[in-house]
Amino acid sequence: PQSGGGAVPRGNGGDVDELFDVKNAYYIGSYQQCINEAQKVKPSAPERETERDMFLYRAYIAQRKYAVVLDDIKGNSPPELQAVKMLAEYLSSESKRDAIVDDLDKKMAKSVDAANTTFLLMAASIYYHEMNTDAALRTLHHGESLECMAMTIQVLLSLDRVDLARKELKKMQEQDEDATLTQLATAWVNIAVGGEKLQDAYYIFQEMSDKYLSTLLLLNGQAACYMAQNKWEEAEGVLQEALDKDSSHPETLINLIVLTQHLGKAPEVTNRYLSQLKDAHKAHPFLKDYLAKENEFDRLAMQYAPIATA
Amino acid sequence: MLTKFETKSARVKGLSFHPKRPWVLASLHNGVIQLWDYRMCTLIDKFDEHDGPVRGIDFHKQQPLFVSGGDDYKIKVWNYKLRRCLFTLLGHLDYIRTTFFHHDYPWILSASDDQTIRIWNWQSRTCVCYYFYTENGNITCVLILNPPPPLVHSGHDRGVNWAAFHPTMPLIVSGADDRQVKIWRMNESKAWELDTCRGHYNNVSCAVFHPRQELILSNSEDKSIRVWDMSKRTGVQTFRRDHDRFWVLGAHPNLNLFAAGRLDVRERPAYAVHGNMLYYVKDRFLRQLDFNSSKDTAVMQLRSGSKFPVFSMSYNPAENAVLLCTRATNLENSTYDLYSIPKESDSQNPDAPEGKRSSGLTAVWVARNRFAVLDRMHSLLIKNLKNEIVKKVQVPSCEEIFYAGTGSLLLRDADGVTLFDVQQKRSLATVKIAKVKYVVWSADTSHVALLAKHAIMICNRKLESLCNIHENIRVKSGAWDESGVFIYTTSNHIKYALTSGDHGIIRTLDLPIYVTRVRGNSVYCLDRECRPRVLTIDPTEYRFKLALVNRKYDEVLHMVRNAKLVGQSIIAYLQKKGYPEVALHFVKDEKTRFSLALECGNIEVALEAAKALDERSCWERLGEAALLQGHHQVVEMCYQRTKNFDKLTFLYLITGNLAKLRKMMKIAEIRKDMSGHYQAALYLGDVSERVRILKNCGQKSLAYLTAATHGLDEEAEALKETFDPEKETVPEVDPNAQLLQPSPPINPLDTNWPLLTVSKGFFEGAIAAKGKAGQMAADPDMEAPGGEGWGDDAELQLDEDGFMDAQEGSGEEGGIKEEGGGWEVEEDLDLPPELDLPSGAGGGSEDGFFVPPTKGMSPTQMWCNNSQLPVDHILAGSFETAMRLLHDQVGVVNFEPYKSLFMQTLSRGRTCYLGLPSLPCLRSQPQRNWKDCGAKQGLPAVGLRLSDLIARLQHCYQLTTSGRFEEAVERFRVILLSVPLLVVDNKQEIAEAQQLITICREYIVGLTMETERKKLPKDTLDQQKRLCEMAAYFTHCNLQPVHMVLVLRTALNLFFKLRNFKTAASFARRLLELGPKPDVAQQTRKILAACEKTLTDAHQLNYDPHNPFDLCGASFVPLYRGRPVEKCPLSGACYCPTYKGQICRVTEATEIGKDVIGLRVSPLQFR
Repeated sequence: PQSGGGAVPRGNGGDVDELFDVKNAYYIGSYQQCINEAQKVKPSAPERETERDMFLYRAYIAQRKYAVVLDDIKGNSPPELQAVKMLAEYLSSESKRDAIVDDLDKKMAKSVDAANTTFLLMAASIYYHEMNTDAALRTLHHGESLECMAMTIQVLLSLDRVDLARKELKKMQEQDEDATLTQLATAWVNIAVGGEKLQDAYYIFQEMSDKYLSTLLLLNGQAACYMAQNKWEEAEGVLQEALDKDSSHPETLINLIVLTQHLGKAPEVTNRYLSQLKDAHKAHPFLKDYLAKENEFDRLAMQYAPIATA
Repeated sequence: MLTKFETKSARVKGLSFHPKRPWVLASLHNGVIQLWDYRMCTLIDKFDEHDGPVRGIDFHKQQPLFVSGGDDYKIKVWNYKLRRCLFTLLGHLDYIRTTFFHHDYPWILSASDDQTIRIWNWQSRTCVCYYFYTENGNITCVLILNPPPPLVHSGHDRGVNWAAFHPTMPLIVSGADDRQVKIWRMNESKAWELDTCRGHYNNVSCAVFHPRQELILSNSEDKSIRVWDMSKRTGVQTFRRDHDRFWVLGAHPNLNLFAAGRLDVRERPAYAVHGNMLYYVKDRFLRQLDFNSSKDTAVMQLRSGSKFPVFSMSYNPAENAVLLCTRATNLENSTYDLYSIPKESDSQNPDAPEGKRSSGLTAVWVARNRFAVLDRMHSLLIKNLKNEIVKKVQVPSCEEIFYAGTGSLLLRDADGVTLFDVQQKRSLATVKIAKVKYVVWSADTSHVALLAKHAIMICNRKLESLCNIHENIRVKSGAWDESGVFIYTTSNHIKYALTSGDHGIIRTLDLPIYVTRVRGNSVYCLDRECRPRVLTIDPTEYRFKLALVNRKYDEVLHMVRNAKLVGQSIIAYLQKKGYPEVALHFVKDEKTRFSLALECGNIEVALEAAKALDERSCWERLGEAALLQGHHQVVEMCYQRTKNFDKLTFLYLITGNLAKLRKMMKIAEIRKDMSGHYQAALYLGDVSERVRILKNCGQKSLAYLTAATHGLDEEAEALKETFDPEKETVPEVDPNAQLLQPSPPINPLDTNWPLLTVSKGFFEGAIAAKGKAGQMAADPDMEAPGGEGWGDDAELQLDEDGFMDAQEGSGEEGGIKEEGGGWEVEEDLDLPPELDLPSGAGGGSEDGFFVPPTKGMSPTQMWCNNSQLPVDHILAGSFETAMRLLHDQVGVVNFEPYKSLFMQTLSRGRTCYLGLPSLPCLRSQPQRNWKDCGAKQGLPAVGLRLSDLIARLQHCYQLTTSGRFEEAVERFRVILLSVPLLVVDNKQEIAEAQQLITICREYIVGLTMETERKKLPKDTLDQQKRLCEMAAYFTHCNLQPVHMVLVLRTALNLFFKLRNFKTAASFARRLLELGPKPDVAQQTRKILAACEKTLTDAHQLNYDPHNPFDLCGASFVPLYRGRPVEKCPLSGACYCPTYKGQICRVTEATEIGKDVIGLRVSPLQFR
């Protein structure tokens, strides 16, 4: 229940989460740090060890190092890790995807172990990649963890359902307002809401990078806030920093494509970033869209012609 | 303060200087009296007999005595030579405040809380006392001898705080808690009250006579110092300082100076810095100082009610809110105020917003909407902007908290500082440093400086100590400069500290200051009166050291060459810090140079220096160093210079330089150095030489044995014969003797031993390159070659002037200022931000039966609904509607040229941000009316500005100037096609957009025609006539003057050649009107003169300069006014009616003569 002063939210209790650094690094997109921390930390209980490994392997996936995950996770590994492996398999090879999704559909048709949050998350991730948002949301509906809620919010936002995303966010805030995931999800929702909320979103990203580390994820978040507020010059600084960190990061390049045009730079500059993107990330949804739009343009253009020719 | 005596005792209550010796007596709160030598800083003696605080203390001017008066009601007279208390004077009935000797008489004057002033005779020790008292309100003063009567009044009816003799006259002044200052006169037998000075409205703590004038000074707890005229008995002047409570006064014996001791309530101003803004508290106002503009304004009036000044401040830039902490004498009563700074304020009369006050020791921000409060129970509370507690956090014991970036705090306990994560509720790191008072973070929060009273510690973000600096003088404040150097102040210096631990003095200070910011040479600070000041410092030294530490040698070198910091101290510093190679480049003195070179192993430089010095010791040292490096050629030289034959010989042996070894043998022989000679022969394996040597020095037997052993039989025989068989015996040759000879090296070493290739340090490289820099600087010839496009018809000389003209000519377009007209269409709509979507679809989850929600309405769909401007539809990705709009508005029928524009535009419509890792990114749509559009009235941020397009014209002009016509046409066309994709705000801009289209059209038509003309043959007269016609038409395109000059010159030359002098003359006149450059003008005038001789046209052409015409964009023939004409709906280019329905040649996209709505680039056009 919401109440004024004096109320102390439940939070994760007073005790310290030994995997905090691992999780935190993962969520803010500092994958190498996540891996480093995971290799450093010695969990107190075996189930925490599995949890740690889960983040470790997911960080590898985020770095596109699928082979590590596929090699490391064996048949006798815990079911949580099997789920992670499933996502790695899905992302690593485009040809196997249909089979994996079929397989997943079958699993989902049977009763789902709602306690295996990792499985739910991985399954929803795959569905989301498949743009099957219905299945993704249905899967996430089983879970109650913060991350399930965060992912739900992300899917809802991609469906332009800000209203539902806010509801979900409220649930997260009730569970733990200060958690990194809650903060990040707040920022996403704020960006979607727009207006004055954009500055709040910006501060969330800014605070995180102040507190931990500026990452591509946080920088692009900041850039998105700036650009949504038409603060193009400010966005340039942030994106330049992101570009310095990784010169071929797809989202950074996409944002630069947007930004350079708004800054009134010559079209060549923009095209350079587009070429880079085409070079390095052929399969990125942005390019798929782009290609589809080009085709659509050609098709539509055919409907027009001059009445006379020279 | 010059010296601090660390007494570690209770507070000092009284002080007295010895009249001659460098001694000072300090009476302490714990009853001890200390005698210090203030020059030697040593404690000479301690006198501990009083029970409780001792307030009165005074040296006798001549005798080795001093007197003390304590809270134990006792006056004690001491002899410091005998080191004991001589006697105690009893009589006072309450605390004794002051005790003074009379300068002449054997008297002691004491003032006490028992409301009396007494005079004691210390010689009689019999307590001969003067009592001052009042009777019936009238003041009479009587001298009463022994025995003392019961308590009588002193005239003061409260405790007397101070009583002092006049330095020369028989007067006494006293001040008391009755707020009065009284003056007493005394003679041998009695004292009486002369007058009372009334005016202070609080306890008078001290009163003194002016040593020469008829004046009295007094101070009081009413925070004032008053000056009284003794004769007139009136106040002369009042000095008031609101923040200062003066306790004690002292008069300089000769000068007109007075010292006032002040209770140091808190001198440090409370301030906070954010970006270019300084916020500080002064006189109950929160003020804001802009560092850049020096604009200093009061932004807010603080709530009154606290008698204590603001102790510290924490500023929150996100919410523009401040936390002001006020610390009470009793810490538990401390409070803090949370204020929201008003957005706009009148500096003259700023608002006094309602703050939120709560109790707590310290409050600092931990996030934009959270702050932490250390409450009086020393537990930590997290509060929100409403000042409500959201969390209680268990922390390790701590007595103070400091800001430590978002989500973190620094907690101070007795002997250390802990970095604490508020979210995780755990300590991250701890560092040991006692009693940190202030914490200063660098701008990027990568470093923190912890300031204690006498120490500074610099730590990194993880609170790992990087350096530790001890100061003898109190540390006051500090700030980080932009290069990461910590600049701090002590009471009398500005100093610097590098994170590497280097520190030093930058300049001295007259008064303490509180640094707020450091930029370049400027130190911004507040002084004790809270006045903002800027001091200038010379940052060279620390910049230099910083550059060294960071190994930015280019900067170092720059400073070495340009700054005047070369001195022994810098060299010594460099040497000490392990940068001999850098120091090397400072040094002119060969000796230093030599040792530095050796230190960094630079043999070449050392050799150079050694040659210059040519001292034996140098050569020896160099030899050693070179030998270690295997630099044996240098070693050889050193040995030669030092004439170290033995070593030289051995060197030749091991390097296999047998020729030189032999030479050494010769030299040894000449030097008559037998053993050297022999040794060399031994090295060489030269047996006969050895035999010869032995023979020559009379070692016959050895010579024989040598010869015999080595099989030099002839020699052996010859030697054997010289033996005298009588006296000498021929030694027996050992049959097992073997030839011992050092094996000669296989390859003699002529060159040095292979040395490791050491990459040249920056300095060696930079120094070496110095000489060559001049040649490299020669710029390649940047002159632009004349474009072939203009052909040689015009004999053009293109230069930069022309280029400049073009820029100037178009300056009008470039200088357009945007005007702030808003989108009023949207402004008057004010809908709540809720999305009115069917909520049932998403709400079903509550039943436990999950129904996935339907897709919502995306902002891009709104855009299409909200706008009829093509670009908005493209940005939304709705190509179909966009095309239809362009078709209907400007008649586009061929979209091919628009393809790249569409795709580009689309690609800037949506940014992306990352949600959860490994998931597809989320998209956000920047909107131009984001501030007030709500959820439904959005319009996309366009990203294409009229000014950008206008700016792009410049490039086209340049291309035109340099004759690259086809390229220029292409670019002009892109600009033209982009105009319908603009969104502008006002009528003026609409007009400008249309004007832009016209400019592009004129150029495209003209340049296309000129390109066409170039391709035409010029063999026959008709062909030549056509060429001339086209050149003439070109002069009717509306071009920039710089281009028109070129066009006219072409036409002029062509017509002149065709002998159409009359028309040529008209071109010449037009050309001259444009004011071309002098040489062009001169030439034109010549041609004009030539034309004017025969002002006729040789040929009839289809060109009438006086009859206005439009040019057909397809056939390039004049369409004189009044004739039927078809126009392009977008560019406005004219065509012969036959071209109707075809694609416009200018745009290549629109249909000639199409009936359209017209260009729409602003919502104003839909009204």
